[in-house]
Amino acid sequence: MPLLRMRDATFATETATVGPVSLQLEPGERLTLQCATAEEAAVVALLAAGIAKASGGSVLIDDYDPRVQPVHCKRVTALVPHEPFAIDESEFARYIAYRAALWNVEPARAFAHADLIRGRLRGMHEAFAYPLIGALIGLPRLIILDRPQAVYAPQIRTAVGDIALLSTHTEPAAASAFA
Amino acid sequence: MTARALFGVLQARLYAQRRVVLSTCAGALVAGLIAPASLAGPVLFCSLLGIVLALSQSPGVHPHLDRCEQSAPLFGRELARGKALVPCIAAALTVLVYMTGQLLGGAPIPPLTLLIALGSTVAGTLVALSATMRRGVLRALYVLLAAATSLVAFALVEVGRSVPGALAFCAVVAFLALRQYGETLARYDPI
Repeated sequence: MPLLRMRDATFATETATVGPVSLQLEPGERLTLQCATAEEAAVVALLAAGIAKASGGSVLIDDYDPRVQPVHCKRVTALVPHEPFAIDESEFARYIAYRAALWNVEPARAFAHADLIRGRLRGMHEAFAYPLIGALIGLPRLIILDRPQAVYAPQIRTAVGDIALLSTHTEPAAASAFA
Repeated sequence: MTARALFGVLQARLYAQRRVVLSTCAGALVAGLIAPASLAGPVLFCSLLGIVLALSQSPGVHPHLDRCEQSAPLFGRELARGKALVPCIAAALTVLVYMTGQLLGGAPIPPLTLLIALGSTVAGTLVALSATMRRGVLRALYVLLAAATSLVAFALVEVGRSVPGALAFCAVVAFLALRQYGETLARYDPI
């Protein structure tokens, strides 16, 4: 059973329509998606994460429709936004505790997991590493990266491990770094 | 929604909005010290502060919290309860601080005044939360509606001489406003 299935998925904004996007992602698989614009990449990432609801076509996450079962879909996926986080080292523990509370993860386990992932992301800037760590402590089965930094591709691939990965890009070089 | 998630949202939002909360509390203390003892002061002034506190929770003010909450496995109504609790607690705090200012200034505080001030402030704050999810004219209308809620509660006490009526009005408005906010959050697309 595919973990993510998008069939002619579109999202209509006030000015333009994004899509149609069709793709299928199996558990453990990695997929990079080359988009024409930054807006398109962000919208596709939000659709795949079940955060935005498709205006047309269908998006199924673990065979569930985010329009009907948003909570189940959000347990399966985790989105790492493109924008860097404006939090520093002093607020890291607070951020992990907050994420653990929202995803109902045991605090001690969340902190241990966060430390483990942090070790794997050594050399990566905190502003980009923290959201990925936060996303991974919820134990998702699918990670969605919205325009990740190509320079950190090796660390990100190591941290994500066997979890299915979908990344959106606007530059071919960045897409090939995650392929 | 688990109690942990509820307190997680509460703690994170209060920490992120600590400057606004402290500023409104300071404003309430000063106003409580200098204002004459009346019902109008706490009801109208604290409702205004409640609206400010609700609007400071608008999407984009704390983007990392918004993104976490949008991707968290929570229903819209659950998230609404967590997010609504934050400005309600802060607004209730401004009422208590205002009353402390009145006490320090030597004015008596009838318990009913405190009750009505709390009720109207919380109801107005909950109505103002719906303004955070809208733009332009609709946003302004919700802010006006929030201000009107406090005015109606005040009028019910001062003109209608009905304290239970004012409290019942605040309870009904607060309930409907919270439901409306939950439905708006459930339908909200962050694009």
